[in-house]
Amino acid sequence: MDRRRFLTLSAVAMVGLTALPALKPAFGASKLEEEVQKRLGVALSQVKESPEVKLTAPTIAESGANVPITVESDIPIDKVEQLWIFVDKNPSPWITDVKLTPMNGRVFFSTRIKMGETSNVRAILKLKDGSFVMATKEVKVTAGGCG
Amino acid sequence: MSLSRRDFIGVSALGLSALTLAPYAFARKPLSFEKLMEFKPHGNLTLVFTSDIHGHLKPLYFAEPMNLLAPEPLRGTPGYLTGMDFLKYYNIKPGSVEAYTGSCVSFIKLAKLYGKTGGAPQMATIIRAIIEERGKDKCIVLDGGDTWVTSGIAVKTDGMAIVDWLNYVGYEYIVAHWDVTVGKEKFLDIVKNKLKAKFISYNITEEPFGELVFPPYDVIEKNGVKVGIIGSSFPFTPIANPRKFTEGWSFGVRPEELQKYVKELREKHKVDLVILLSHDGLPLDIALMKQVKGIDIVISGHTHDVTPTPVRVGDTLIVSPGSHGKFVGRMDLEVRNGKLQSYRFKLIPVLSEVVPEDKGAKKLVEKWYKPYEKEFNEVIGTTHTLLYKRDTVFSTWDRLIGEALEDYYHGVDAVMSLDVGTSPGFRWGTTLLPGQKIKVEDVYDVLGLTYPEVYIMKRKGKDLLALWEDVADNVFNPNPLYQQGGDMSRIYGVEYELKINAKQGERIRNVRIKGKPLEPEKEYVVAVYGGPPPMGVEPEKKNIREIVVDYIRKKKEIHIDVKKALNVKVLDHPYNIDCYWR
Repeated sequence: MDRRRFLTLSAVAMVGLTALPALKPAFGASKLEEEVQKRLGVALSQVKESPEVKLTAPTIAESGANVPITVESDIPIDKVEQLWIFVDKNPSPWITDVKLTPMNGRVFFSTRIKMGETSNVRAILKLKDGSFVMATKEVKVTAGGCG
Repeated sequence: MSLSRRDFIGVSALGLSALTLAPYAFARKPLSFEKLMEFKPHGNLTLVFTSDIHGHLKPLYFAEPMNLLAPEPLRGTPGYLTGMDFLKYYNIKPGSVEAYTGSCVSFIKLAKLYGKTGGAPQMATIIRAIIEERGKDKCIVLDGGDTWVTSGIAVKTDGMAIVDWLNYVGYEYIVAHWDVTVGKEKFLDIVKNKLKAKFISYNITEEPFGELVFPPYDVIEKNGVKVGIIGSSFPFTPIANPRKFTEGWSFGVRPEELQKYVKELREKHKVDLVILLSHDGLPLDIALMKQVKGIDIVISGHTHDVTPTPVRVGDTLIVSPGSHGKFVGRMDLEVRNGKLQSYRFKLIPVLSEVVPEDKGAKKLVEKWYKPYEKEFNEVIGTTHTLLYKRDTVFSTWDRLIGEALEDYYHGVDAVMSLDVGTSPGFRWGTTLLPGQKIKVEDVYDVLGLTYPEVYIMKRKGKDLLALWEDVADNVFNPNPLYQQGGDMSRIYGVEYELKINAKQGERIRNVRIKGKPLEPEKEYVVAVYGGPPPMGVEPEKKNIREIVVDYIRKKKEIHIDVKKALNVKVLDHPYNIDCYWR
């Protein structure tokens, strides 16, 4: 028993030791960072916040089940390719992505999203030149109320 | 140019009020009505306003808080000033009427000296006197909401007693928060059919498509000045109060939309002056005015703050006229060439024994009170402690309510009894002086909810803690746009340490329930009232008012030692417990 236990333990330790260096980036990345990398093809750290993207959302949600958000931008529509929306702390941070064409007239997208807890909401635009711009806003999801 | 001129007159007005203060600082009563009203008329337009009357038609005592705990970035700013700090900031002499009405300092002594404040007949006298002096065509009369609710007479008459008074005085504009808790249908009936004042709100829209429910603003011409008035109702009403009162409506803080309406008023309607009549709360309005440009004056209700001089953010002046009928705000404005040039401002203290009663308003109050006098005037006990409600984390009224809940739920068997009783951190409620008799109406005035049901339920330690952390973030978030403007829930049976500048989820520490450390997985018996009704729990047979009235009746003599009863240790902010008694 003891011997067997020792062996499994050391095996775990071994795996841990050997695996750690190689896997470290994956462990360190948050679910959000993974999702952004997967869907945008770039790291979140390379996406810059910009006043060119306007994200409207409540400061405190009236219901986490139904949070109205609006993304707009004055960047000419023919320079914009795609829009993504993420919620950092949702179990699945990716909410949606929208392909934009000149037929859209301008960058304007309004929807309602679900939020499990207080979190940042992000709207990221990919421009035709390959760059990304982002707006972030914290939305508080609260149960406690007092007047 | 116009700025410095405005500055000059603003400052000189302050100097004036400071001067007039001095003679009756520490003076004994004979204070005249004329002295209280003293105001050198100025300019071509006058705003007359009140806010957060909270249904009080009769004079009462109302103590300003000993503590307004502020997150670090907001410390020492209007909205968080109490006691001597408040007096120093506004250059007010201790012992003066202004000190009595605006701060906690020596409240008990000064209350005996100056008497009660507020009262509908007294407020009517002041408002009508200003209108008479200036002429109706120069005055706009406004109220910032929390008006026909949360008192005995408000509960009994569905707010109509106060609505009747508003019509009598001639109020012209109003916004809302608790006012919706008469019920959505009744609320709509009041604002559409009963109330003469115009109800305006830019931030109430229909779900899900966002059509406005009420006019967002109104344009009015007075004495040749074109004024645009935008209304803002309490942005977090759907969360702070049960959802049924606002079902289908969305509220919120909406800086972009507000900016759009300001622009519309300036460009389309060519107004000379833009006023925001707001129930956002002072800290939120200060933060909001850093984002929204072009508003001249904000009349800011909700947080019950007293601003003896306006708070300036850029070119915007923000004033908050206190609560419970303690003040009538007067602001004289010189508006010329489409611009606010200068102003003079005063919060007129409504000392009930000094201000003569308006006969018509008095008759109106008597008429509405008549059916309830007997019930309201029943004496149920005597308090030997100052019973106050306002404070960020603790109050004697809430302590008494906690005791009453514990006593009501004495346990169905020897093993189980109430562990925790929570009382919401509302900012309204009457104050009783030591030695004062407690009447049934006083309990109504502190628990004047249209939903007074009590719920007793079991909750796990970790869930309770998460809930309290949530409330703490609504109170202590360093960004006012994320605060709800209420105080911390009062948690009876629980002791804890509070670090207000910690991250969300880490503010509440070393929680002890009935003297033992909180166990995350243990189920506790909890009594609650005044929040959204918990799902699947039937309300108790007795409501919170009945429970408290019965308890006071049984105990008769109420003694609470603040030092002993205080259950919160604040780790990173001073906490005062003697201001009232100094």
